[in-house]
Amino acid sequence: MTEAELLDRIAKTLKQEIGPAVDSEYPKTQAFMAAVVLQKLSRQLALASGHRQANGDDLNLLIDDIAESVITKPVPEEVASAARQLAEARDDNALCGWLEALYANRAALGAVHFDALLGRTRTTMRANIDRQVEYAG
Amino acid sequence: MTQAQTASPELRQAIIDYLATRLTNGSNFELHNIQRIAVGWSHETWLFDVRYSEDDKSQELGLCLRRDPGNALLRHLSDLEEQFRVLECLDRTELATPKAYWFERDENILGAPFLVMEKVTGSCPNPWGREGRAFYQAAAERGTLPNSFTTTLATLHTLDWRAAGLDFLDVPAPGTGFAQREIDKWRNLIESADYAPQPILTDLICWLETNIPPTDRLTLVHGAYRTGNLLIEDDRVNAVLDWELQVIGDPMYDVAYVLSDLNREGTSLLSNLVERDEFIRDYEAATGFTIDFETCRYYNALYAMRSVAFWMSAAGLYANGRSDDIRLARTAWSVPVVLERAATELGF
Repeated sequence: MTEAELLDRIAKTLKQEIGPAVDSEYPKTQAFMAAVVLQKLSRQLALASGHRQANGDDLNLLIDDIAESVITKPVPEEVASAARQLAEARDDNALCGWLEALYANRAALGAVHFDALLGRTRTTMRANIDRQVEYAG
Repeated sequence: MTQAQTASPELRQAIIDYLATRLTNGSNFELHNIQRIAVGWSHETWLFDVRYSEDDKSQELGLCLRRDPGNALLRHLSDLEEQFRVLECLDRTELATPKAYWFERDENILGAPFLVMEKVTGSCPNPWGREGRAFYQAAAERGTLPNSFTTTLATLHTLDWRAAGLDFLDVPAPGTGFAQREIDKWRNLIESADYAPQPILTDLICWLETNIPPTDRLTLVHGAYRTGNLLIEDDRVNAVLDWELQVIGDPMYDVAYVLSDLNREGTSLLSNLVERDEFIRDYEAATGFTIDFETCRYYNALYAMRSVAFWMSAAGLYANGRSDDIRLARTAWSVPVVLERAATELGF
């Protein structure tokens, strides 16, 4: 039995046996809610490895595309710096910094370039959030 | 989620002792029908009837007591004293609200600050439950309550808030002041939750700051105007409840909330109650305002930010041990769901 399966089994016990056996309203609700939490954790855990790999691959592709775009068409130094930090750190914090730099330099980038860079970044973020919704929704 | 609980003998006695200090001509106080109604995750709410003697006559008063448990969601943004002051001010207007009686900050009285207000008659079906949805569906078919829902919001938006004394609520600067203040408020809550960085949230906040719609029309804004926050009696709104998120701001903020998909489930009826076209027609007729749908779209995105702030804050209360309520732990998985909605609002 995997860890995810263990959590899922405990969740089912909570939902089907423990929760219904509780008379008092508040602890009954808590038992059912604990089952929901464990089921979500179980699903998240089961998908974690695949999601980590896919998110990493997507981020690498994004960083490559940004690097190529920045070389093809020069950008303000703040944007270039944020792109370098993203390439080094490869994490959500740096991705947030990249987005802030884009918005802060929107006028200097021009609408077309800004939309292109933001749109490319959003493609990666959309794929990431769709994966999260697989276990959170 | 609603659940009834009974009060401890100590709390009952403390309430009786307190009421004796307020109803000074009364004697022989007794509490009846006392129950705790837990709606949402905010302050404790107790409903009861107090019976007492005054001038040799038996008196009965229905009361609602809200107590600050010290760890409620949005506690620092939802001060009981402010709620009390708002209700006092609204009592001078034609908007249907509970009458506010007393506010006490002294924790020695009931163990925490509290306010006491009128227990208004009526029911408040939960729109997320099967029974509640059936209640609103039946009311929609009868047709009276939907109009009451809309005209009550119109009353809220057209009342003279300065004359009522509500200008203590921090009036925003004209133009972009209102939306900017909301963004700042929810950003502060997000930052205090100490959550992992969320790129879609960063995108959303940057987009919101870049696209603020200016507004020069300022009204009282409820902040959560929907079924479930309205007390219903005889197919009309008997009281507007849940005065926790009210601000002076753009009335389209409330309109966007009514128009959004957030507050309905399995139906096209707004707030499970009102036909969209009917709401728009009746609201515009009653207020004289024209609904700005582009601005409503902006506020929908702002509501996504607010929801993320709520859920991050709620999950944080459980994570850092300030609450044992597992419902709060569950909200950690609401964050990605709302962020997905935000991405859709932003067009990706």
